[in-house]
Amino acid sequence: MAAIGATGSRTGFAARAAFYLVAGVIAVVGLVALADRLLLGLKVTALSSTITWGLWIALYILFVGLSAGSFLLSTMVYVFNVRELERVGRLALLTAILALGGAMVFVWIDLGHPERVLSVVTSWQGRSVMAIEFVFYAAYIVLMVVELWFLMRLDLAAAGCREGVRARIARVLSLGFRYPVTTEGYAAAAAAAMRVAKVAGIIGIPLAIGVHGGTGAIFAVVVARPYWNSGLFPIMFLVSALASGAALMTFLYATLGRRDDGFLPTLRRLASLMILFIALDALLVLADFVAGAYHPGTEASATLGELAFGRFSLIFWGGEVGLALALPVLLVALRGRSAFWLGTAGLSMLLGIVAVRYDLVVPAYVRPVLPGLDQAYRDSRMVYEYIPAASEWLIGVGVVAFLALLLALALEILPLGQDIGRIGATRRSS
Amino acid sequence: MASTQGSPADTAPAAVATPAAAQASSGDGENAGRRHLSRREVLRRAVVSSVALPFAPLLPVEIAYAQPQAPTPIGPLGPAERDLVVRMERDLERALAKPVDQRKWVMVIDLRKCTGCNACVNACRSENALPPGVTYRVVLEEEVGVYPNVSKRFVPRNCMQCDNSPCTPVCPVGATYKRPDGVVAVDYLKCIGCRYCITACPYGTRSFDFGEYFTAGTPAVQPYETQRPSFEYGHKWTRQGTGSPIGNARKCTFCLHRVEQGVLPACVSTCIGRATFFGDANDPRSLVAELMSRPNARRMKEEAGTRPSVYYLE
Repeated sequence: MAAIGATGSRTGFAARAAFYLVAGVIAVVGLVALADRLLLGLKVTALSSTITWGLWIALYILFVGLSAGSFLLSTMVYVFNVRELERVGRLALLTAILALGGAMVFVWIDLGHPERVLSVVTSWQGRSVMAIEFVFYAAYIVLMVVELWFLMRLDLAAAGCREGVRARIARVLSLGFRYPVTTEGYAAAAAAAMRVAKVAGIIGIPLAIGVHGGTGAIFAVVVARPYWNSGLFPIMFLVSALASGAALMTFLYATLGRRDDGFLPTLRRLASLMILFIALDALLVLADFVAGAYHPGTEASATLGELAFGRFSLIFWGGEVGLALALPVLLVALRGRSAFWLGTAGLSMLLGIVAVRYDLVVPAYVRPVLPGLDQAYRDSRMVYEYIPAASEWLIGVGVVAFLALLLALALEILPLGQDIGRIGATRRSS
Repeated sequence: MASTQGSPADTAPAAVATPAAAQASSGDGENAGRRHLSRREVLRRAVVSSVALPFAPLLPVEIAYAQPQAPTPIGPLGPAERDLVVRMERDLERALAKPVDQRKWVMVIDLRKCTGCNACVNACRSENALPPGVTYRVVLEEEVGVYPNVSKRFVPRNCMQCDNSPCTPVCPVGATYKRPDGVVAVDYLKCIGCRYCITACPYGTRSFDFGEYFTAGTPAVQPYETQRPSFEYGHKWTRQGTGSPIGNARKCTFCLHRVEQGVLPACVSTCIGRATFFGDANDPRSLVAELMSRPNARRMKEEAGTRPSVYYLE
């Protein structure tokens, strides 16, 4: 971040070095696991013919959700003019772009034939929700890149006037846009950027709802899985996406935000938004349980039973209820003036949302679709138990580390706002 | 018939007349004056007739039995067609003579006849060279009652080839589709392996080919797993590396590759209890058309709106 200056303190440097080293090593391990998976096929996973979607699909919907949540948060700035959040507007857009990229990686590596991924374009089948979603993803990512570029172009052009590697990159990224020489020209360019951001935000709101609500619809339209097959399901996706986006911004801003007068109000605003969305999400989960679990003996109630008291109870109570509901609410309520604890609340929610996503996907598979099907044929790939294999974990964590590296790199070279620092470079100002 | 070699009675027309000849010889004494047979001739005929008579049943059936009376068929079926397998094969011949879009392949499974032997499951595995994790047909076992008053019932299950198939519209690339003859097919070379269709099937009939071998982990993966092809959809598929059908969704095809050559599906041919029937529902003369219209015919999970092409007789 050029605005903050290149002279990091020693603690800042050590933190940065540690971050790049750790994230780099994890990303390389993930890349090796990815190469292994591409060479050997899906037999490296613990998936089966019965539990066909697992950790990667959970991470795919997690990252689509983070993207939609972050983007919708950015529209609060550019469409609804929430001043306090202005500081995280560009950061939210950037993370929305990166998160969607991550989601696409996860859905791509989950394909049995990753080399045929372009068939989705060449033989697009418009009755499939999945195919429709790919159109949404494509339009959405283009929109976000255009919006972010317009928001950054003045700063890019300004940075391009200096000397050095960063300036050269800025000149390339400015795509030939010149810094206005007159004050009027500057004002016009700035106003144009805000107009573009507003229009893009307005178009983007239904698009982002389509992106994540639609991703929920991929599951909700499956009549064969009563756990998914409800109108509430896509809405649950959307609300938990908003919660996860607010959590990501809370965590990132608590970590990267410059400690000045506006810092705590912005952070508190982000945290309270996160709590609002967590509460809404909890309400929807409760509604799902009331309607689904009331009458015992149905498929839906049996699956919810697995969730609350069965094989998923640890993930449910520990992850969904503990990390994604109780801990963030308690931290924000009791330690609401501490940036550290607010950031921790965001991180807790981010870890909890992994459990939420996992519990949205996998429980639908653990009961046989026909009575006796689990006993009819014994095969290691026709089982009703699933614990993600090493490859799934390594690639999962590796992609997350890779995204973190990309984010750090973007923070180094992109003008994301004067109030966002480089990774590890903010402590000194606090 | 070596003993009668060279005699006139040995030729076919004469053989037909053999009973008559025997009769004639028994009344030889009375007719002797009229025919003036020599004693030598009478003796010769008597010996020939008595030796030939026990062999008469061995003569060609049409010839031996056509003579007394014309065959009277029972109902519209010929005697050969009274065997259900033969009848179904004739049904196939008639269906295959029609264009593909006028056929409608259906299966009928008589649950009262199923013994739960699983021969169909193994025949299917063998016919389609199925790898670990891929199964097209299983036999569900259901225990009824409380000990000690228990019994078991068996429900064979393969792809229902639904007319309103939940698996086909979800495919993002249109790799799985409903054929005009009713079979839900997978284009192995188009399938991207997203497994959405497997998720969408209410009967759990689709599998994913993970590229595993039964003999993996033994001193050598056997060539019968890597080189012996399956002939699904009329092509030759061998499983090697990560190439199709590895990495694809796979499912029962009603053994189209056999059916289109006039051979019944492997599970039908193998069924020891003659509990599984197959044929063309569009042909009112076919066995399946007759069975599927019975009042005890049911379809699985009909409430899902899938309109399966597999009927169960309960």
